[in-house]
Amino acid sequence: MQHAQTKAEKLAEPIVYVVDDDEAMREALLDLFTVTQKRATAFSNGPEFLETADIQAPGCLVLDLRMPGGTGLDLQEHLLLAGSRLPVIFLTGHADIPTSVKAMKAGAMDFLTKPFSDQDLLEAVDRAIKLDAERRKVEAERDRIQALVDTLSPREQEVMFAVVSGLMNKQVAYQLGISEMTVKLHRMSLMRKMQSRSLADLVRKTEQLRRN
Amino acid sequence: MTKAFDTPDEIGLEAMQAVRIIESVVGNAWAANPAGEIVCVSPAVLSRLALTLEEFSSQSDGGPLGWRRMIHPDDYGRSMALWHWCLESGEHFNIEHRTLRKSGAYGWSRTSAQPLRDGDDRILGWYGAIIDIETSDAAARFADTAEAAVQELPSSLSAIHPDDRTAAAHAAARAFWTGVPQVTRHRQRQPDGKYRWTETRAEPGYSVSVDIDELVTDREPRMVTASDTAGEPEPLRSARAVESIFGNGWAFDARGRWIYLHPFAQNSLGVTAEQLNVSVDEGHTAWKQLLHPDDYERTAAAWNRCLETGDDFNVEFRFRRVSGSYVWARTAARAARDARGRIVGWFGIALDIDVYKKTVEALRGRELELSQLVDMVPVHIRRLGPNGEPTFFNKRLLDFYGWKDLAQLETPAGSRLTTAMEMLVHPDDSARLLEAVRHSVATGESYGMKYRLRRSDGVYRWVDGRAAPLIDPEGGIANWYAISIDIDDEMRAQNALRDRERELLQLVDIVPSLLWRLNRQGEPTFFNKRLMCFLGLDAASSDQPDPRRLAAIFRGAVHPDDASGLEDALNRSIATGENFSKRFRLRRSDDVYRWVESNAEPLRDDSGKIVQWYGLSHDIDDQLRVEEALRERERSLWQLVETLPAMIDCAAPNGEPVYRSQQLREFLGYNLEDLDGTGKSRLDATLDAGVHPDDVAGVKEKYAHSLATGEPYARKHRLRRFDGEYRWVETRAAAMRNLEGAIIQWNVICLDIDGEVQAQDELRLAQERLSRASQSASLAELSASIAHEVNQPLAAIVANSNACHRWLLAEPPNLDRAKITAERIIRDANSAAEVVSRIRALFRQRVEPQSNTDLVNVIAEAVHLITEEAMRRRVRVELDIERALPNVVVDQVQIQQVLVNLIRNGMDAMDAAVRDRVVSVRVHRVGDFVATEVSDRGMGVAFPERIFEAFFTTKVNGMGMGLAICRSIIESHGGRLWVQNNEPSGAIFTFTLPIEVEAAA
Repeated sequence: MQHAQTKAEKLAEPIVYVVDDDEAMREALLDLFTVTQKRATAFSNGPEFLETADIQAPGCLVLDLRMPGGTGLDLQEHLLLAGSRLPVIFLTGHADIPTSVKAMKAGAMDFLTKPFSDQDLLEAVDRAIKLDAERRKVEAERDRIQALVDTLSPREQEVMFAVVSGLMNKQVAYQLGISEMTVKLHRMSLMRKMQSRSLADLVRKTEQLRRN
Repeated sequence: MTKAFDTPDEIGLEAMQAVRIIESVVGNAWAANPAGEIVCVSPAVLSRLALTLEEFSSQSDGGPLGWRRMIHPDDYGRSMALWHWCLESGEHFNIEHRTLRKSGAYGWSRTSAQPLRDGDDRILGWYGAIIDIETSDAAARFADTAEAAVQELPSSLSAIHPDDRTAAAHAAARAFWTGVPQVTRHRQRQPDGKYRWTETRAEPGYSVSVDIDELVTDREPRMVTASDTAGEPEPLRSARAVESIFGNGWAFDARGRWIYLHPFAQNSLGVTAEQLNVSVDEGHTAWKQLLHPDDYERTAAAWNRCLETGDDFNVEFRFRRVSGSYVWARTAARAARDARGRIVGWFGIALDIDVYKKTVEALRGRELELSQLVDMVPVHIRRLGPNGEPTFFNKRLLDFYGWKDLAQLETPAGSRLTTAMEMLVHPDDSARLLEAVRHSVATGESYGMKYRLRRSDGVYRWVDGRAAPLIDPEGGIANWYAISIDIDDEMRAQNALRDRERELLQLVDIVPSLLWRLNRQGEPTFFNKRLMCFLGLDAASSDQPDPRRLAAIFRGAVHPDDASGLEDALNRSIATGENFSKRFRLRRSDDVYRWVESNAEPLRDDSGKIVQWYGLSHDIDDQLRVEEALRERERSLWQLVETLPAMIDCAAPNGEPVYRSQQLREFLGYNLEDLDGTGKSRLDATLDAGVHPDDVAGVKEKYAHSLATGEPYARKHRLRRFDGEYRWVETRAAAMRNLEGAIIQWNVICLDIDGEVQAQDELRLAQERLSRASQSASLAELSASIAHEVNQPLAAIVANSNACHRWLLAEPPNLDRAKITAERIIRDANSAAEVVSRIRALFRQRVEPQSNTDLVNVIAEAVHLITEEAMRRRVRVELDIERALPNVVVDQVQIQQVLVNLIRNGMDAMDAAVRDRVVSVRVHRVGDFVATEVSDRGMGVAFPERIFEAFFTTKVNGMGMGLAICRSIIESHGGRLWVQNNEPSGAIFTFTLPIEVEAAA
């Protein structure tokens, strides 16, 4: 597991995307991220960002709420529809409460009012990147378990979900219409394929699958 | 004539002489011996018959051949029978028979003969005459009269003394021949056997005998018999002989001197022959003293000629009587010759023909009168022969035909009758008439018919012709007398009447009305065809109108609900004679009941009694329905007007109200009539009393204007309600015009809008409050907007400052990057300062330094700036810039700000629009200005002026500053900014900028 985490960090260094129509602002933000040694790219509007950026990459998005060519909220919606879990930090000249609520509900990480302190922004970015990383780790574990499950035969899967629901072998045999011996054989096989030494471990793994 | 004297010894000289005299007087004389053999005949008769005397007198078929030839075969037998009887009895021979005339035709004649007797009363011979009987009535009458006179005498001859009998007989003969009344003196045997002298005056038709025995002194008969005359000179002897027959004999010597004049003549004239001869000595003729001066010359000429030639003398003249009066006489004379033929004298007679003349005159007068009568009576008279041939037309008829006589009918072919039919009778009638005439001729029945005769001018005229036969004593038809009366005018009148009657009848059937007639009792006696058809009766059955049947049919057709009412009305009219008028339903032939209106009036006779009733029914069903519909519509309209929740008023063309709806009356609290008598017109009275004092002047002015021009009227004003409250009303009036366009009425509607006015006021107040509230809200919005403008560079500055700080804190400090970041900070700070400065300028409304600028670039840049937003909002921005526009002195940023603002407004206005989302920008020169128009296709502008006021906005989130700022910018540039609505929709914002003047540049 340790190995997998290290490998993911190496493969994808988090990147900070900046989308703002004001050039001066873009320059200032890129400068700030450069000086704090963060990888960052800037776009002048939403469509440009959607076209060129890898929205599945780890990192976060710093987004101006008020922009020509679509508001920041529109872009946020677009990302959700595209399946991106990129955390979004909104910047706004004059935030009103309804807009803020709307943005937060849609999954915004943070909501910063211009002019903002660089500390606030950098903390928000770090927090967003960390959250993104954690979320990505969970997803990776789930993917691994799912891959193990995928190696099971259909009958083994049926036996596994019956066992983790707390049934005894003979109950399982009765439910599936097979012999207890056969259930035992399936059980041994699936425990091996699921790389589980105990029932508790198997239950934890199947729980992780269910969480999503 | 000489032959007549061939056997003188067998007939008395006297007879011969008589014959000659008779012949000379009347012509056609003859004489016979006692045996009846003809011894003497007028040469004219012989030559006419182409017979010698011997041939004439030769016996044939019981009588002389001459007579056989002369007398019509039908008459011959009875003539001969009578003649033989007379020869045996010595009676006077007198008969009428048809005689062969010179023309070759037979004509009626009368033959008379008288025996000549000697002193022993032995018959010496017969002398006679044949007289043609004239066809005229006068001649016939003359003949009849003469005959009557003659027949009078012989009856009394037997009572006359034998010595006087000859004279009486002579007188009778004279009467016979001439018809002249004669006066004779003779001895009449009295019942006691004695003779007494009697004077008899014989006139046509009667005779009067007067006993003059006592008066007679000369008892000797003056009559001279033939035996007494022997030895006297020839003329004298002859005269005496003649006189013995006729009386009034006379004689002249060869020179024409009187040698004898009848003593009676001498007496009556009071002259002697010697006295008369004085005239001869004086160089005149012997007649001189005797004659009427008017007749003398003529007579003398004739006499002288006779004296010279020895011809017979025969004249009529008037001679003078002792009394001095002149009377007509006929004188005949003949020369007496000796054996050598020398004239030895003249003998003759004078016959008093005065009475005859006068009778003839009278008769002629009567005949003339009759003939005039025949000609003058307004009747066409014609006489037809027994065979129907026309023989006489009266003058009127001839005039009618335009003829002088009947000669026109003489045609070589055909009879007069057929010719007359062809020529004179209308072709359509001629066959019928001819048939009738022929029938009548054949049967002797009268006929009478109407036919058309052709008048001289070619016009056929209707006549009523009738003919009846004149039956002769034998029962044969003598003549047909026919008359015809011109009845053309009557016929025409009748025809016209008939035509009119027919026309009337047709009219009765043709007029689109139901006509009927009732008798006095009210029973129908006639239905016209239309009524028959209406009731469904066939026309044929109507020909015999049976009142009961018609009545039954009619009663059956009347609607049961109307029957009793109709009956009552009809009975009332029949009883009172009043005109009848009633509406009721009548079932038509198709079983549909139709409303009819019936009227009837009685026809009265001269006494005022009702003869019958004439009635007329109209089918008013359609009319009634229309009327009902109209009434219904009128009622509904009336109700509409009365119940409409509006006050309605109608006024005459001069504005005087003539009608007010209930709503208006209730509102005002008085009726229109209540205004009368106030001394003011209704209009003025209403306005003065009702309209609010502050409004009345304006209302009156507006009213007057509309009445004068005919323009519609519309005005809001306050009107006093019945309870004294003034309420706002909106009054509108429009003229109603006739086809000629003249105003016939003003229709006025008046709405109580007090509630609306109040509501509007409240709304206005609410808007004002709202406006103030939104102004304060806008201030917050404005500050937010300013904050955004300022915060943007500020945020960049802060971010850059932080970055700069970090570059400097880094180990080692990155000075290069810090420097770049610091420069950015400066730039952004300046930018922020500029924004602030612009906002300040906006509120100060001051124009910042301007430069001489090419407006086209400024505008193009501004449009470019907004293009991205326009695309995003799916709005197309069109640009239309006039070429070669002059430069203007403007603040570029401000003008761009105005332009962007206007374009953005336009886009906002079209947010709701689905298509045609276009904002057009047009720049062109107008005089000394450049005008820029920004037009959209949105909703347009409701308040063209107010939108430029500060804090006025129609947008939900608008601040109400944009247009106010724009206007202040444009005005500070010396231009103008305004708005007007676009066609078909949207608004056009236009701003002008002054062109830089050349001299100033």
